[in-house]
Amino acid sequence: MTAPALARRVVVSAPVVAVAGALALTTLVMLVVGVDPTLAYPALIRGAVADGNLEYTVAAFVPTLGMALAFALPLRAGEFNLGGDGQLAAGGVAAAALALLVPLPPVVAVVLPLVAGALAGGLVAAVAAPLSTRLKIPAIVSTLLISTPAVALASYLVRFPLAEAGTGIAQTPTLPDAAHLPFLGGSGYVTIGLPLIVVLTGLWLYADGRTVTGYEIRATGQNREFARYGGVRVDRVAAVALAGGGAFAGLSGALIVLGPPYRFVDGALTAPGYTFTAVAAVLLASARPVVVPLTVALLTVLQVGGQGMEREAGVPSQLTQIVQGLIIVIVAVLATLQARRRR
Amino acid sequence: MYAAELVEVTKRFGPVLANDGIDLAVARGEVHAVVGENGAGKSTLMSILYGLHRPDAGEIRRDGRTVALRSPADAIRHGLGMVHQRFRLFPGLTVAENVVIGAEPVRAGRIDRAAAARKVAALSERYGLRADPSALVGGLPVGVRQRVEILRALYREAEILILDEPTAVLTPGETDRLFEVLRTVAATGVSILLVTHKLSEVMAIGDRVTVLRQGRVTGRFTTAETNADELVNAMIGRSLAPSAPKRARPVREDPVLEVRDLTIHDADGVARLSEVSLSVHPGEIVGLAGVAGSGQRELIDSVTGLRGAVPGVFLAGTPVLAGRDPRVAYVPEDRHGRATAPGMSVAENILMGAQRELSSRWTLPTAAVKRRARDLVDRFAISAASVDVPISALSGGNAQKAVLARELTRPSRVVVAEEPTQGVDVGVRERVHALLLAARDDGAAVLLQSSELSELRDLADRILVLYEGRVVAEFPGDATETDIGRAMTGATA
Amino acid sequence: MNVFEWSFLAGVLTATAPVLLAALGGLLCQVVGVFNIALEGQLLWGAFVAVVVSDLTGSAWAGVAGAVAATVLFSALLSIPAVGLRADPIVIAVGLNLLALGLTAFLMRQIFGSGGTYSSPDLTGLPDLGELGLDVPVLREQSPLVPVALLLVVVMATWLTRSRSGLRLRAAGQHLEAAEAVGLPVAAYRHGVTLAAGALCGLAGAQLSLGNVTLFSEGMSAGRGWIAVVAVMLSGVLPYRLLLACLLFGVAEAFGFRLQGAGLPQQAADAAPYVITLAALVLAALWRRKRSHEHA
Ligand SMILES: Nc1ncnc2c1ncn2[C@@H]1O[C@H](COP(=O)(O)OP(=O)(O)O)[C@@H](O)[C@H]1O
Ligand SMILES: [Mg+2]
Repeated sequence: MTAPALARRVVVSAPVVAVAGALALTTLVMLVVGVDPTLAYPALIRGAVADGNLEYTVAAFVPTLGMALAFALPLRAGEFNLGGDGQLAAGGVAAAALALLVPLPPVVAVVLPLVAGALAGGLVAAVAAPLSTRLKIPAIVSTLLISTPAVALASYLVRFPLAEAGTGIAQTPTLPDAAHLPFLGGSGYVTIGLPLIVVLTGLWLYADGRTVTGYEIRATGQNREFARYGGVRVDRVAAVALAGGGAFAGLSGALIVLGPPYRFVDGALTAPGYTFTAVAAVLLASARPVVVPLTVALLTVLQVGGQGMEREAGVPSQLTQIVQGLIIVIVAVLATLQARRRR
Repeated sequence: MYAAELVEVTKRFGPVLANDGIDLAVARGEVHAVVGENGAGKSTLMSILYGLHRPDAGEIRRDGRTVALRSPADAIRHGLGMVHQRFRLFPGLTVAENVVIGAEPVRAGRIDRAAAARKVAALSERYGLRADPSALVGGLPVGVRQRVEILRALYREAEILILDEPTAVLTPGETDRLFEVLRTVAATGVSILLVTHKLSEVMAIGDRVTVLRQGRVTGRFTTAETNADELVNAMIGRSLAPSAPKRARPVREDPVLEVRDLTIHDADGVARLSEVSLSVHPGEIVGLAGVAGSGQRELIDSVTGLRGAVPGVFLAGTPVLAGRDPRVAYVPEDRHGRATAPGMSVAENILMGAQRELSSRWTLPTAAVKRRARDLVDRFAISAASVDVPISALSGGNAQKAVLARELTRPSRVVVAEEPTQGVDVGVRERVHALLLAARDDGAAVLLQSSELSELRDLADRILVLYEGRVVAEFPGDATETDIGRAMTGATA
Repeated sequence: MNVFEWSFLAGVLTATAPVLLAALGGLLCQVVGVFNIALEGQLLWGAFVAVVVSDLTGSAWAGVAGAVAATVLFSALLSIPAVGLRADPIVIAVGLNLLALGLTAFLMRQIFGSGGTYSSPDLTGLPDLGELGLDVPVLREQSPLVPVALLLVVVMATWLTRSRSGLRLRAAGQHLEAAEAVGLPVAAYRHGVTLAAGALCGLAGAQLSLGNVTLFSEGMSAGRGWIAVVAVMLSGVLPYRLLLACLLFGVAEAFGFRLQGAGLPQQAADAAPYVITLAALVLAALWRRKRSHEHA
């Protein structure tokens, strides 16, 4: 392919069109309510990438990418995991509890809580698997229904049994030093969570395209009857995919808790909206897993930049949720239009 | 002036030219047969006449006037009625509701159920189409469902009645009864377009006949002045090849596939299979005949392991494995149901089932997978741009060849083939038949289920007839269609 | 009879009403074969617009009308792509739920100047039935939309089974090709019903923000739209069963309030409706499975 042809293909590709369309519509919303886009957008960009902020953006990229895997992996098997918040909170609280309650030697003190977080998240998500495969309750509904109680449980644990005594703030005490994730280079925000999640993403991409399990997951997602006919144990594949997704979510929760400020602050895991930023990013990648890290990066910039925009230009950061929602809708529309053109 | 005319109608589906400049005219009160092999374009043409597809070119005339049929609603308004190859009925509604829907009798803002039932009963009486107006359609046998579709068209006072392969789901006895009804209907001045690929039926009821082959008209005849040979020539472009040479009886080895006293109930407790026993030996093809829904699905799912571990099914002497027994090659009937994943590539579709054998531990040897797929694409003469295109980009016949390529290259001694030539053209059909015969000659035990008796007679060494979940008869491969057909109705020979 | 019990019943009804209204919309969609999981976003949007319009005009009924109109418009964002262009309704709905969350939170800050919760003495809520002269227990402190919701259950049940249009809608949802073959305008039905569901969600939202309380707070739909989706799944597309399912949720929420009053943590009350709804869903599925296995 020649360079211009490649450029053309990138420019008219679904993700680019979707983002452009969503931004155009959001600009329209701004104009309608009297926000000056020429102030808002530069503020947004500065909010995300200006020095000092960039580091924070990179830090936010980590859980968002983790949550993207949490949604993408089950989606490959045809299951919608919208319960990311519950799995995230469960992972966070499990990691915090372990780190606080069990004195552990260095290194192990980091590794074990991370594993515990992944297990807890995986467990919460795995509940949806038999409901979907045996009882025909769609995962999109069950994961969501399980999510709220899971968040509530985490919140209860943080407020009562695990609460920091005497402060009255809904948070755990600071985790022991041994459980703190080491920083990367000289950063004050970015921990070794970044290389960890990047490596895991690489592993997932490899597994998806190049392993038997990945193939069977994809076949299950494409046509469950076909996979079953081919001897794939589809119920187990679906369960593995959901549990795997939940484990990524739980790990993301653990990574947040083991990073600064080194405690579980109630609401701090779910408030930034990692789950749905990730959902939007994955759908934006439109079934091309390799693109997921890029779309996650893009939407993290938007998300973090939104907060900068609010600080600097007084434009509410919820604008970014509007962009995300529109992106998802436009991606879905483009997908059908493309499918129709192909026919 | 003709009641209906299709003029120069052309319709393309992607790469497939389904109808290519077709002219067809039907007179008032005429029974006009439309014949052609599977894939000849008959259903497409009829769907165009009924407003379900829009032609790419050409026009439709009603009583000499050009009409635009954008939807079935338009077609109904122009006096057309259609009995579809795959019934289009509402399972959760009653017979009466299914018949009157779209033109319901209303009293005081509510549906007048009594009037609906009365009208439906009167129609059934008049044409001898027995059906209980208050029965739920979902629970009715196929024969009755078809009557509901006919009643629906008659209720709407259709002047042109299209029937797409109505006899495919009927026993010979039911077919005779249907033809009586059609004669009565035609006598009232209704024109009938009857789609079929069975020549005996054409000769039995048609006044005139139009033959299609690969989307083109290849013959127009008056039945009184033609004969079966002439029609066959037009249908397949040459005289019928002598049926495949039946092998001399092989020396009997022990059966590789054995079913003993298999009984299966469905979720509602109805027996779908009752005490079925059969065996298939290496080097033979056993045909499975029967009207649709006689237990074929349950039997095949049991034999392949897809129904789980059912007691009474043995492969090479050991019980069938639950899930999918890898010792069975299985060509399923519906390519879009379980045989393929349309969104996956040709290579990935061909891989299914072999992914674990081809891989060492976890990793899929991508290059080897593709090489193998390319090799099979060549060997089975599948025309595909590459093995990386989605299988949905292939024509039906090529997709079917890909399925056969995948299944017949499994290291298995049992082959189960289910309607292996449904919806493929003549060339592919012959190729498929040759492949099945070759598998047999290599010592495979083949179980072949087909709704086409001619296919069974061409290929099978023995033919078993299923009726209401029981094996009611066994015939040698050269038994007459009449005898087999009679057994399919449950009549004991 | 104990006054406390009456008040519990009243609490159940109050909690049920918005869910029921939204679920009626979902049920309509289910009837014609549209899986509508955008109820949550529509409910939230309706609640928001109701408060904005009521605040602006000083009339709660104008708020209701505004909510209905605005939510019908919002539901066109589902109907046009999902019905008209046949895009995946699930993905579209996920996007719309997010959009509603963002739009309401954003516009709230633009219009009222701050986030969180907006309430004001200028904001008129829906009148109580007691004020309108219907001074009977349980209903006394409900908004007029509560009996409307209950009445709609009866209306919908009768309409779907008895009327010509009801029959056609049910048919269209059962078998698309069959509906086409008898000339039913399925797409028009689906558009119409999706928009009607928007209207019902508008009512539901207004009931939530002007009936149950008189305020708007971010994300105040709090999963009720999803509970409505579950209620539809439990209903077997029968309006009376839908009512039962919604009442179950109402009981759970009212019970949660009482638990909280009895000293249990708020988290238990938050979780109760979800746990109970999920349990009902699982039990119903198990029961269906058992029934079909008994025969096998
Ligand atoms: N909806 C469709 N999409 C794509 N191809 C189709 C479609 N319908 C029919 N075809 C193709 O058109 C050709 C004619 O099919 P059809 O009219 O069903 O034949 P017949 O009824 O004579 O067996 C076949 O090759 C078939 O695969
Ligand atoms: Mg056909």
